[in-house]
Amino acid sequence: MTSKVLGMNAVGGMDITGVIYQYTAVKDKDDNFVVTVGNEDLDGNYLWKDTEDWSGKYGMKIRKLIPLAFLPIAKFGKGKIATTGTGSVEDANVIYMYRFDACFDPQSDPSCPGYVKPIPVVPKIIIYDALEDDNVKGATEETDKELIEEKEESNEDEEREEDEMQLEMALASSTNALTIANEVTQGSVVRAMNTATNINNYYVADISGGAYNDSTPLQGGTIVDNKNAFRSLAQDNLMNEMIGEQYK
Amino acid sequence: MKKLITIGLILGLAGCSLFSSKVEAANIDITGTVQSRCIVNTDTAGMYGNPNAYTLTTVPASAGQLPIVRVDVSLANAYHAKISYPTSFSSSPSLGDTVAWTGAATVVQTSTSDMSGYQSASSLSGAMRTYALTVAGTTWFSVASVATYGGGQQKPFPGGSYKAVVLAECIAQ
Repeated sequence: MTSKVLGMNAVGGMDITGVIYQYTAVKDKDDNFVVTVGNEDLDGNYLWKDTEDWSGKYGMKIRKLIPLAFLPIAKFGKGKIATTGTGSVEDANVIYMYRFDACFDPQSDPSCPGYVKPIPVVPKIIIYDALEDDNVKGATEETDKELIEEKEESNEDEEREEDEMQLEMALASSTNALTIANEVTQGSVVRAMNTATNINNYYVADISGGAYNDSTPLQGGTIVDNKNAFRSLAQDNLMNEMIGEQYK
Repeated sequence: MKKLITIGLILGLAGCSLFSSKVEAANIDITGTVQSRCIVNTDTAGMYGNPNAYTLTTVPASAGQLPIVRVDVSLANAYHAKISYPTSFSSSPSLGDTVAWTGAATVVQTSTSDMSGYQSASSLSGAMRTYALTVAGTTWFSVASVATYGGGQQKPFPGGSYKAVVLAECIAQ
């Protein structure tokens, strides 16, 4: 049932308890005239109806009370006054009586049985950080000289570090290349020298018989290791290891 | 032991003889309620209009208000409604001349079309119209009342307040 039919806003929880309708049947006594007042349900059938047969009767004003068994308002469809025969209906008025259950929806009132306290939806709060605002940044860059200087210094430091890194990498590459080249050159010279020496020795070798005694006499006592030499060797080994790590 | 029993028996017999000499009686009420099957109510109070100096009328066209009486009957063919238009003022200023009274009772509304014949089936006797209430339901009667002062000489009503009474009765057949 629409508010147009009821004359008010129809809401859940309303039950129609009765209808008072009135109209004036205008007709001649001898004419056949039937008037039906009622409401359709949602399927288009009559939910309730009341019919007055004015055939053979004087036309006049009628007011009638139709009790209804607490019909939920949701079942009410279109209301209408239908006539058949010769005559007309004037000054029609239909009044609906109702009761209202305020707790039809338990959530409508905390005092209603079955009311469940609703859990409020926590709004997602976006925290505004002015320091991250591009507009603020732009505005401060234009006006804050300290920020500009800091940024320029920072940029200069970054560029300087980058240059140093590049220079170190270049030096390291050239050093390594020279080292490798030197090692290769020296190795080839030594190998050539060794080859010539070895062969010459064979050519001039004159091995005479006899015994070759040790010419160095060993004195008695304890031979002590040279700790400085050991330490030096250890440090060189460590350096070599570190240098070698760069090429792994 | 035998003596005690004998004495008790004698006392019992004496008691019986004492009570049997009285006559008992009782009045029992019978109650009942009869609900009226015909109720008369005032639906609309009437008011006189004063279209001219010598006329008081309930006709709406003359700024009057027709009184309407409502009669509810829950039993068909059991009552008559008798509606009378007024023939005198119940209160008014002192009137030195005659008042001519006319009026009419009319069925203006019913609760069912089956009552539409009430008016035509009614009978008039002087100022009183009698309706046979043949159908259970509600009937609304309006009463028109016209009072003319001066006995045809069109004298003006004296100034003041005027009241008249419409009599509506529901009488068992």
